[in-house]
Amino acid sequence: MTATLGGPRAATTGRAGARPTGYRVLRLPGGASFLLHGRALLAATVLALVLAAGCVASLSFGESTVPPQEAVRSVLGLTDEHDFVIGVLRLPRLTVALLVGAALAVAGALIQTVARNPLASPDIIGVSQGAAAVAVIAMTYGLASTAALPYWAIAGGLAAAGLVYLFAWRGGLHAARFVLVGIGFAVALRSVTQLFLTKGDHTVAQQATVWMTGSFHGRGYAEAEPLAWALLAVLPAVCWAARAQRTVTLDDDTATALGTRLNATRLGLASVGVLLAALATGTAGPVDFVALLSPQIARRLTGTAQIPLATTALVGASLTVLADLLARTLFSPTELPAGVVTAAIGAPYLLWLILKNRTGGRT
Amino acid sequence: MSTPSEQEPAGRLAARGLTLGYEADRPVVDDLDLDIPDGRVTVIVGPNACGKSTTLRALGRLLKPRSGTVLLDGAELHTLSTRRIAQSLGLLPQTPVAPEAITVADLVSRGRQPHQRWWQQWSPADEAAVVEAMERTDVAALADRPVDALSGGQRQRVWIAMALAQRTDLLLLDEPTTYLDIAHQVEVLDLVRQLATPTEEAPARTVVTVLHDLNQAARYADHLVAMKDGRIAARGHPEEVVTAELVDEVFGLAAVVIPDPVTGSPLVVPRAPVPVPGGPR
Repeated sequence: MTATLGGPRAATTGRAGARPTGYRVLRLPGGASFLLHGRALLAATVLALVLAAGCVASLSFGESTVPPQEAVRSVLGLTDEHDFVIGVLRLPRLTVALLVGAALAVAGALIQTVARNPLASPDIIGVSQGAAAVAVIAMTYGLASTAALPYWAIAGGLAAAGLVYLFAWRGGLHAARFVLVGIGFAVALRSVTQLFLTKGDHTVAQQATVWMTGSFHGRGYAEAEPLAWALLAVLPAVCWAARAQRTVTLDDDTATALGTRLNATRLGLASVGVLLAALATGTAGPVDFVALLSPQIARRLTGTAQIPLATTALVGASLTVLADLLARTLFSPTELPAGVVTAAIGAPYLLWLILKNRTGGRT
Repeated sequence: MSTPSEQEPAGRLAARGLTLGYEADRPVVDDLDLDIPDGRVTVIVGPNACGKSTTLRALGRLLKPRSGTVLLDGAELHTLSTRRIAQSLGLLPQTPVAPEAITVADLVSRGRQPHQRWWQQWSPADEAAVVEAMERTDVAALADRPVDALSGGQRQRVWIAMALAQRTDLLLLDEPTTYLDIAHQVEVLDLVRQLATPTEEAPARTVVTVLHDLNQAARYADHLVAMKDGRIAARGHPEEVVTAELVDEVFGLAAVVIPDPVTGSPLVVPRAPVPVPGGPR
């Protein structure tokens, strides 16, 4: 198959800026064409390398060190010497961290797009709190085995989001109402969780607290495999979302004038975001800040007008993989919650990007 | 409630028995019939809160009628998909908002959205339409500048370029001159006139716009629609419509109407209620 990649300037007309600034056009035979953002591609490539390095480091380091080349050979099945440390302990956990990070980051991007607010994220509109509340209730009544816990949490996150929609919907999903209703539910659900933790017995409280700190500890193939399939199933919707972002980031009237079914599109974007957030939170507990920070980091790296979803996913995955590596090794044998480390890496990095760019109030 | 008039629409866009409002018992526009002539500039004027922008919003499917209907090519607007409408009818709202940090070319290119598919994001037709729209509005030199960094006049031209890139025969502009100084107002209105003038490449477009300034409306309109209290007070060519009686009836303003010294179109000059310093005594 032959594909041509056009330069940043229109070759046919010789005119400057005929196509959106910074984009290249990928033309495929049969009339298909795709707009690719040059700097987003570069950022994605660099992030993929960072992520790959982080993955190899995660497999190598821990209570016992496996040389990096041995770790890679083990993953590729070229040696069975490290089957337990790599194959059973580290690789499944790494996979969960990677998928959870990517899912949370994209969820954050979509919810920030719908809310038109860079401070919105699934943990602000009640998804994480819904997941936590239902998980704790299920544990308290002995309904949830460890294996079933993620499913309860996912259901809780989705139910919370459903209630937020229901209360925020008034002929449409309006940005400010959506966020405010979400904050209300988040607060209410957090107190439900606290109530059950306080009146429940100690073992439940302890088990629940560990889950609620957001950790990849003890996560393995049992969690990684269903999560991977679920995310694969959501992928087409994410591709659709990337396209829909081009108009919903404009004002409502202009978006409609350009042929966007605004209510359906917003509801769709929010639903994909909520679904991703619920899947991720159900699997690993609420890993704070990944959803909030990753889209903003990605946007500053690429300079695009809307949040670049693929770059965001790579930022999120890199954040969680590096955070989990540090969480495991920094104070070994004591483990930190990964959420603490994601905040510790992500927040200063975002601040640095903002200060470096000096672009004012860019969201 | 009255039944919509059954009269055949004269052009591609028309309204029949249109009743619009934000509250059920207080219609802003009441039982309005309107025919938009093809290939002409129609300007809707009227005092504040007369329903002119509300009417324009309904013509552009941004507002759902309480009763009555808007017809586009004979089909009821609400039965068409919003994407299908966007392929025939472009619309620029009163205060459009661009995402921060978007560049001019990026914004203009979004006008192509109704013609694109996810596997067809940038066809040669898209490129040609964006080039033409930016040339026509004289923003090609600004292509890579962020929209935030432009002046009000430049920004308005960029928004019009986005609507032009949509390449629709019908174009609705809601108060396109608001917030612009007089030179930029004239620039935008000259552009509107040009759009309704056929060229070798493109036939004349149909433009419907709401304007605040009655003199500009009289100067640039082929077809003037004067509204008052949600009804049409007068319609027709500006020379027939703009009279001292009409200005008094619609705006409650005592005025004399004289021919515009440049174009000959009617020019409304308000009578001064009190002596003006330096003016005639």
